[in-house]
Amino acid sequence: MTDHDVRVGDEAVVPADGWTLAWDDRASGLARLIGPGRSIPVIVEGEGTDWTVTLHGRRIPVTVRSWRERILADAETEARTHSGPTTVAATLPGLVVAVAVAAGEEVAAGTSLLTIEAMKMQNEVRAPRDGTVLEVTVATGDTVATGAPLVRLA
Amino acid sequence: MSLRTDTGASRRPPFDRLLIANRGEIAVRVARACRELGISPIAVHSDVDADALHVRAADRSERIGPAAAAESYLSIEAILDAARRSGAQAIHPGYGFLSERAEFARAVEAAGIVFVGPPPDALASLGDKLAARRSAAAAGVPIVPGTEVAVTDDLDLVAAVGLPVMLKAAAGGGGRGMRRVDTLDDLPSALATARREAHAAFGDGTVYAERLVSPARHVEVQLLGDRHGRLAVLGERDCSVQRRHQKLVEESPSPAVDEPLREALFDSARRVATTVPFHNAATVEFLVDGDGNHYFLEMNTRLQVEHGVTELVTGLDLVAWQIRVAAGEPIPEELRSAERRGHAIEVRCYAEDPYHGFVPTAGRIGAWRLPDGPGVRVDAGIEGDTDLRPEYDPLLAKLLVWADDRPAALARLRRALDELAIGGLQTDAGFLRWLVDDDAFVSGDYDTSLIETRWHDGPPLTDAEAALAARAALSARLDAPPTTTPRAAPAATPWAEAARRDGLRR
Repeated sequence: MTDHDVRVGDEAVVPADGWTLAWDDRASGLARLIGPGRSIPVIVEGEGTDWTVTLHGRRIPVTVRSWRERILADAETEARTHSGPTTVAATLPGLVVAVAVAAGEEVAAGTSLLTIEAMKMQNEVRAPRDGTVLEVTVATGDTVATGAPLVRLA
Repeated sequence: MSLRTDTGASRRPPFDRLLIANRGEIAVRVARACRELGISPIAVHSDVDADALHVRAADRSERIGPAAAAESYLSIEAILDAARRSGAQAIHPGYGFLSERAEFARAVEAAGIVFVGPPPDALASLGDKLAARRSAAAAGVPIVPGTEVAVTDDLDLVAAVGLPVMLKAAAGGGGRGMRRVDTLDDLPSALATARREAHAAFGDGTVYAERLVSPARHVEVQLLGDRHGRLAVLGERDCSVQRRHQKLVEESPSPAVDEPLREALFDSARRVATTVPFHNAATVEFLVDGDGNHYFLEMNTRLQVEHGVTELVTGLDLVAWQIRVAAGEPIPEELRSAERRGHAIEVRCYAEDPYHGFVPTAGRIGAWRLPDGPGVRVDAGIEGDTDLRPEYDPLLAKLLVWADDRPAALARLRRALDELAIGGLQTDAGFLRWLVDDDAFVSGDYDTSLIETRWHDGPPLTDAEAALAARAALSARLDAPPTTTPRAAPAATPWAEAARRDGLRR
């Protein structure tokens, strides 16, 4: 039993028993998990509560919180989800090739908002829920990075 | 694993200075060949690449413009200026960018500089895939049944080919502008999308249709021609592991090719090569169906990304030979009958998320540890602790292994992938590590649908993996000093530091 709440994604997980972490290079996160009779290379990045562990090439988000941190975070989430505008952000970097909506327009969940071209593929960005377009923050021809805000929905 | 380069010290370098009109791993690769040939490599760079790995691999580098490729690596004028400023006698285009643009090859030759590639006319005629299809058929090479002309809105023309079909861009290649169509209802919108994509990618919306070959293997034959009409056939590569019709893994020899099929493929490749005035490195690509029939797809008269696979099984340095052939050197007889030995596999490490449809990822690369040891070669174009530029191709590195036979090569690849560690962003390494244990890939009995039919978006995380990740993160948090200093204090001396690292590695 630890005095921490450890989550992989949203799911509470009991850390594997009998394994210890040995750093190869603390600065870059290169490390090995050393267990009974074997060791597994990993990359461990992050600080505080938010960590990313790369295992067999897969990046796994892990949250490590003290119980006090967990209770505070839950209260904050509760407050945030009550209302407020939603920002639709780019999930991949690319070039905005078409914008299908304008401020003031009512959209239904699933409506195509704009098209981003990446790797010469056209990817449509759709409305995550019903709402009114408050603002379109990009224009055709803009290059966007992952996470860049595209559209705000009320 | 030494490459047979035949570059004895007594040999006079074919050129004094050669300009490399590219960036990333291929520019580093060409610079290495130049050094071994005694040629001074000249790099070019956009503003964001001034300190890039490929710049440091060269003797000097010329700025060619801002980050946007259209204004730098794709600017014929900027590159010719750079060549003139640096006194380069030859230009190697690498792959991608300007490597297949006939007007670039023409401009280079008009400037009195040697183009390391085919004659411009060959690029012009092969650039039109529809015309290349017609000439291959005329030379007696089987082609996939399809339309002989461009498809605009004549849906009957496509229906006559027989559904399902693959729509392809006439100016295309590299899997871009391709669309699979299963029903007539889907055809109009698929056609519109394919034409739009083709236009966006190549400035030419001409599209044609081919009957879908499924299941199919993608097998290509490596050629090298000289300026004296001689041709060497340097074996085949299997490139059937693909996403978005683009290659991720290549191997030679192909597990799907037996001796009679190999002879047939080589014969077809030779025939295709006679249809164009051609010298330098070229690849003839084929689809092979479940019954062992092969069909011509396209011919690329440039270095391929996956050329290293052929280098490992033949012991030849293809880039060095490209340069020597460009200087007029004839291909020797022993190279034309070069035997191939062992088995080579290449995997491409991309900044892409294989768990979400292989979408490109971006950000800063953190940890960066490349595999090493017997039978392992890595061609990398970037290094750790650097930003990945979103303007360019997300290829990070190519990992190649060679061993006596395929099972040994797979074991070596598995070991090498366990040594590989790239932090900071998701790469396709998770997929590659899965692949080397996948039953279909291990048996050699796989086709171009492997990623769609067997990988999907990857297997779910197991409870054991989640528990290990949880342990690693918890240990890291408990271990971490509650300060903001990310790096450990420097050791007293470099020797003490080395000893400490050594101790940690054990």
